[in-house]
This record gives sequence, structure tokens and C-alpha cells, in this order.
Amino acid sequence: MLHYLIKKSKFLMLLSQNALERNKQEPSQDDQNTPANLSQSLKTNLDLIKGVIGNNYDVVIREFSFDRQRQVSASLIYLSGMTDPTIINESILKPLMFESRLSSDSAPKLDDIEMIRTTMLSVGEVSKSANIDEIVDSCLSGSTILLVNNCHEALMIMTADWKSRSVDEPKTESVVRGPREGFTENLLTNTTLLRRKIKNSDLTIESIKIGQRTKTSVNIAYIKGLANPLLIEEIKRRLNDIKTDSILESGYIEQFIEDAPFSIFSTVANTEKPDSAAAKILEGRAAILTDGSPFTLTIPMLLIESFQCSDDYYSRPYFVSFIRMIRYLAYAISILAPATYVALTTFHQELIPTALLFSMAAAQEGVPFPALVEAMGMGVVFEILREAGVRLPRPVGQAVSIVGALVIGQSAVTAGLIGAPMVIVVALTAVASFVVPAQTDSGGILRIFFVVLAGFLGGFGIMIGLIGLLIHLASLRSFGTPYLSPLAPLSVSDLKDSFIRAPLWAMITRPRTIGWHDLKRQEFRLKPSPPLEEDTQSK
Amino acid sequence: MRLERGEISSSQLMFLISCFIQGGLYPSSLAYSISKHDTWLALIAAFIIGVFIVLIYIALANKFPGKNIIEINDLIYGPYFGKLVSLQYIYFFIISLSGYFWFIGDFVLTFIMPETPIIVIMTMFAFICAWAVRKGIEVIARLCVIFVFLPGIIILLTFALLLKNMEFTNFLPVFEVPLEDFIQSTNIIMHISVCEVLAFLMVIPYMNKPKQARRSVLLGIIGGGLILLTGTIRNIAALGPLSEIVTSPSLLAVSLINIGKIISRLEVLVSMAQILLLFIITSVFYYAAVLSVAQITKLQSYLPVVIPIGIIGIFLSLISYDSRMQFSYSTMYITPLLSMHIYIAIPLISLIVAKLRKLPQRNERN
Repeated sequence: MLHYLIKKSKFLMLLSQNALERNKQEPSQDDQNTPANLSQSLKTNLDLIKGVIGNNYDVVIREFSFDRQRQVSASLIYLSGMTDPTIINESILKPLMFESRLSSDSAPKLDDIEMIRTTMLSVGEVSKSANIDEIVDSCLSGSTILLVNNCHEALMIMTADWKSRSVDEPKTESVVRGPREGFTENLLTNTTLLRRKIKNSDLTIESIKIGQRTKTSVNIAYIKGLANPLLIEEIKRRLNDIKTDSILESGYIEQFIEDAPFSIFSTVANTEKPDSAAAKILEGRAAILTDGSPFTLTIPMLLIESFQCSDDYYSRPYFVSFIRMIRYLAYAISILAPATYVALTTFHQELIPTALLFSMAAAQEGVPFPALVEAMGMGVVFEILREAGVRLPRPVGQAVSIVGALVIGQSAVTAGLIGAPMVIVVALTAVASFVVPAQTDSGGILRIFFVVLAGFLGGFGIMIGLIGLLIHLASLRSFGTPYLSPLAPLSVSDLKDSFIRAPLWAMITRPRTIGWHDLKRQEFRLKPSPPLEEDTQSK
Repeated sequence: MRLERGEISSSQLMFLISCFIQGGLYPSSLAYSISKHDTWLALIAAFIIGVFIVLIYIALANKFPGKNIIEINDLIYGPYFGKLVSLQYIYFFIISLSGYFWFIGDFVLTFIMPETPIIVIMTMFAFICAWAVRKGIEVIARLCVIFVFLPGIIILLTFALLLKNMEFTNFLPVFEVPLEDFIQSTNIIMHISVCEVLAFLMVIPYMNKPKQARRSVLLGIIGGGLILLTGTIRNIAALGPLSEIVTSPSLLAVSLINIGKIISRLEVLVSMAQILLLFIITSVFYYAAVLSVAQITKLQSYLPVVIPIGIIGIFLSLISYDSRMQFSYSTMYITPLLSMHIYIAIPLISLIVAKLRKLPQRNERN
């Protein structure tokens, strides 16, 4: 109660502070941002732009003149390293400097910037502007700026090209069957990968820039007519509300737009694979692609998405359904196994079969610590080993695994510090926790939470924890969609893709809570079958 | 001004009531000692009478769609006398809440954690219920969908596994107990399971399709009642005369299951299911109590009274009951009679008065 009041008052204080700050900032911003426009003189314009970005080592300013009769002076400004020199040489400089001379006297006057744009430049994307801020921004994202004397506008020629990682197999989501390509750090490559999967005019990719200093391009991809328009509007509203200075990875965006920032469960999904992003878009979700990050966010997210995997849909349904259940089981083991062990050995010994109880008692004999301390200790040791394994350079990794497996596992048991059954339980938990990668982080926290509850309240504590977990999950929403659907609220037809995976021809509708805008995915009667005898005979 | 912003669907209400009724399996074991092996008949009788009483509640709720019982009382009896009637309901909700708090404490103390102080168990449980209540009826209803299948499947499964141990001669002779004992047992079961649907008069107004309330309530009662009947028949058939003596026939009956030393100790599952169901029942009573208190005091939101009502419930149960014997005695001989006027007389009188005053029509004109 008190906590609630304190939270409320803090929130109110923050609100009033924010309002004050906004009032202070707004007029000053208006003063600074009065757009400085270009003038007629090339020299002043150059000085203006040099004043903004001129003292950088990678800025190239190339001054030249063209049009033999009148000697129009001009200059190109670009960043070396972010631009393609062949385009600049072949498609901008060459036409302007040589081909303008070759042409006869009847050639058009080239001091008109519109004439240059329409007749001389052989580059696809060319736009013009007089606004200094806009020009500098586009230069910084790889455009080449063409300034011509006696023109109060500049041309921004798209020449962006820089070194980037090639498309290769994602490290985090490896599949047995299915496409191997993964998103890269290059936004354009990523949107291309998506478009190559969905060749449909309704696939809309909208772009906005977030981050006052980094000006990161963020794209929202969705299928018009399939995604809920209210969802798209809400996404845009939340993205536009991000007034931060930098966006370096899609994780930044995730933390700014998620529904439940205090929950241990993430309500925004991410993927590194174009095929799974495309599948989610085709179910009516929206994807957010961030420049500089191979991780694409998809929203809304359901809990069951963590247990789905893209090659589930490429293999035949029986084994996949079995593996799905194994995944749920593995997640349950990863959060409950140590807690159950602690509860059984501390409080409910009568539930263990007698023969097993004897062998366990023999193994535990002489172990100095209570089960709770053992479980917590081993849990922490495991997390340390895991974190070390992630961060360490490759060659040292082997040393860590030897230390972890032999010294900590084997020797601790022989020295009598830890019972052998506890080592087995923790090892099982550790392996199981990697089965569902999307929920590894929530699982790690829940495991500790349940071990503590079991240590103090036994089986009843585990039940209380489970009920609490379910209350929390049932109250979560991701962009308006209940997080536990299709289980709660129950949607029987959507259970076809939850604990089991129905055959593809039987998945006629999209998930009701996400794709309700256009529910029908495919026709009925797609089940393959051999031709009827009558048909073959008539032939 | 609506205190509850969430909405529940008709199927969610059905599952909620089904959970609610199924949860009566463990408390209804108190009736075994009175009506002996005829308890299953008492159960059927209780459900038949109970359905008629529940129809009164639904008629009352349908007369004033979108209004909870506290508002309905104000409309029927006027603002002052109506409050007096509403206080009776609040008393009933809080007494039931404290009863269930004691019950869960006692259950856990007896079967799971014998050495833990009861107040720790009750506080943990009340904390979880308070959390659910704070999240609103929508979340409780969603949880029901997950919870309702587990206990049902467990009861059907244990019934099938216990067929080996069942002796149907245990039911003979039928109607052996004296009629007054049979009526008393019927009343106890009615009080424990069916008539507690009264608490749903605080929930039904928040349905998205109020017209389907009758259908989903009745389906829920029938579904839950059938499971309850299966459980009762299982206990009597498997245990025989033993079921009249033991504290928990369900747990004892299930602990008899031992198939090839592989499937055994299923009582863990039963007590898990029992905790889940008790959680649903307690949360609904908690919710009804909190919402009615907030309604009668005209609060903007019911959140501020959640914790105080929980504390009152815990201390009321600690004051009211000293031991299991006392709790059993009062549940068997006192509360069923004491609260009879709340769950039969007052709703019936309310319905008659509303009919006589032709209230819903005047409500429409307003």
C-alpha cells in the first residue's frame, strides 16, 4: 500500500517536472532550429556547409566547373568511405565535366539546377533542397551534395555504399531445415531480404528516424489490409514518442515501446531470420527493422511464440508436435527442477519412492549445507560458468569447461561439499534452459525465485509461485493482445499451433487475436490425396 | 462510474463457475459423516434444489443488467434500507472469505506442511489472492480456463485408475440414513457449493453479453456438478465406511492407487488441484467482498480496499476458529443455517419486491 502511494507520488512529480522541462525547451528549440537556407552564392553556401561539417577528415569537397561557354563553378561534397566512388566519377563528374562540353551550343543552360537533375545526372535517386539541415543530414547518410553557383538549391544524389557484413547464417537461431540466410547490420539489405520473401504490393515498409544525435533509420514493415491499422498507429505513436539521443540497436527500441517494462517477460519478440519475420508479418504482425542491427522486432508477441521455431513449419507435423511438447517440458524443468528437488528433500520426503530415498540419503550423507543453500550455490556457479563461456575468447573456453565440469562438478562431490543428486539436477536444468532460447533470461530469474519459495514453503510455496506466475502472465498484454492467448482467453481454433503443430493444410485461419483483420489464410480442402479411382479410369 | 473496467465472456463465466463448483469437493467431505454412503444422493438433491435457487439469482441479475447486487439493493429497497440489506451480503462475503482462508491454512497444515504456523500459509495465500483481485475479474476468469481442465482431468483419471478398488456394494442399502440427516447433509452441500454462486452477483454485471448469463451459469453448474458427483462416487465406492471417518476422503482414496509401482502417489496431483480451485473460490469471494465494500462506500476504485479486506479476512478467521474440530462443527451445524436467509430468503424477497414495484420499467424511464 505504502509502496503504491510512493510510486504514485513519484510518478506525479515526474509528470510535473516533464511538463516544466517541455515548456522550457520548446521555445529555445524553435529559436535554434529556424532553417538556414542556401543563398545564391556558391562561396557562401560552401562556407555554410563547411561551418557545419567542414573540419572532418573524411569530408571531401571537390570544386570544379563545367559548361565551356559560361564556366559555371560547382562543388561536390561527400564523405569518403560512405559513398561509392565509381558512381561519383562515372555518373556525376563525367557527365557534368565532359559530356556538357561535347554537346553543341544549342545545349540547355546548365546553371538551372532542375535542368542538371533531369538531363545530366545518370543516378537513380536525386532530390533537391535548400534547407541546410536536410542537406547535411543526407550527406551524413551517404549522399553526395552538388552545389552550383547562382543556385539557391542543392542536389542530394544518393551514392551511399559502405562495407558491410555479407548475408550469412545467424548464430542465435540455427535451423536443421530451412533457409540459412539471416539479417545483417545493413537496413537496406534487410528490407530487401523481406521483400524477396513477400512479393506483394501490400507489403508496406515505412521509415522514420529516431534518436536526436544518431538519427537512426527505423523501418516498420507490415502488410496493408492484414495488420490491424490500430496496431500500426499505436506502433508509430510509441516510436515517435521516443525522444532519446541515440538508438544503437533494436534492443533500445524494444525497451522504449514495450507494454510491461517491469515484467521479467519481454512483450516484444525478436528474430534474426527473414523467413520467420516474414511468417510473422503474414500472420498480421508488424516488424520493426533498425539500421545497424540484425535483430528485427516483431509485435505483438505471444508467450507461445517463444516455443515456436521456424523449422517447425518446414518439417512434417508429428515429430514437430512431439518436439513442441518437449520444449514446454524443458522450460518447466528449467524453472522448476531445482525447486522441486529442494521441496522434496526438505519437506516432503514421504513423496520420494523408498528405494530412491535411501540412495539419495546415502548421497546426501555428510553434505554440510541445507538443500536450499546447495541449490542456490550451484545455480550461481552455473550462471557464472555460462557468462564466462559467452564472454571468454575461444581458446580460453576449453579451460573454463574443464574447470567447470571437472573441478566444480566432480571434485565438489568427492570432497563432500555438494550431494551428487544436486549436481545432476543442476546439470539437467542447465541443459534444459537452452532449449527455449527466447525465455532463457526469464527462466534464470524464475528459477531462483522458485528455489527460494520451495526452500521456505515447500510444495505449497511452489504452488503459490506458479499461481502468481500465471496471474502475472494472464494480466500481461502486448500491444493490446493478451500475452497468454490462445490459452487464456481460450481460442480453441488457435490451439492448432500451440502445444501441437497441425498440418499446414489444416491451418486455415490466422491466429484470432492477431490476424483478426483478415482471418482466412487459405482455402479449405487443401489436404493432399491420391486421385479417386473413377477419375483415373475415365482417363 | 464502473468500478471494474474489464469484461468477461460467457464461456469464461462458465469455466469460472465450473471451477467454483468443483472446488467444493474437499469441503463437502464434511457431509460424509452425516449422510454416510448416501452423500452422493444428497449431492444430487442439493444440486437440483440449488439450481432453482441459482435461477432466482440470475433472474435478479437479469432484471437489472449491468448492475451489481449492491446497486440492485439500493434500487429495490431505497438508499437507506438497501444499504442495510447490502451489509448482509458484505457480511456473507467476508465471512466466507475468512472461512476459506482458514480452510486453505488448515488443508496445507494437515497434508503438506505440518510444522508451519498457519498465519504464514494464510498470509501467503491471501497475498496471491489479493494480487489476482487487484488485476481484476478479467484475469481471474482467464486463469480459470487454465485451471478448470486440470482438476477435472485428475478426477476422471483417478476415477478410472481406482475402478479396481471400487466396490459398488458400498452404496447399498440406498436411503438408509434418517430423513432429517439427509436434509441436513443436503443443506450443507448446498451451502458449500451451489449457493455460493451468490458471490457471482458481483461478477455477472461485468459480462460482455449479459443475456447469456443464465446459459453459462447453468452449464457451469452442471459441468462442475458432474465432476463433483464423480469425485463423491469415487470416494464412497473406493473407501466405503472409511470415508465417513477420515479428514480427506479424496486424498485417501487417491493414495490407494498403485499400478505396478509406476503410477502411485497421485495425491500430490489432487492436492495441487485442490489448491488451485481453492485459490479461484477465495479470489472470487475476495473480489466480491472488495467490490461490494467499494460500491457501498462509493469509492472511485476498489484498489485501496484490497489489502485492508485481506487483513480483516485473515484476522477474522484467526479469531473465529481455534481448531479443525471447531471449524468442522461450525461448518456442519451453524453456518449453513445462519446464512440460509442470505442465500435463499433475501434474494427471493428482493425478486418479489422488484416484481411488485415493477422496478426495471421505471429504471428504463429514468
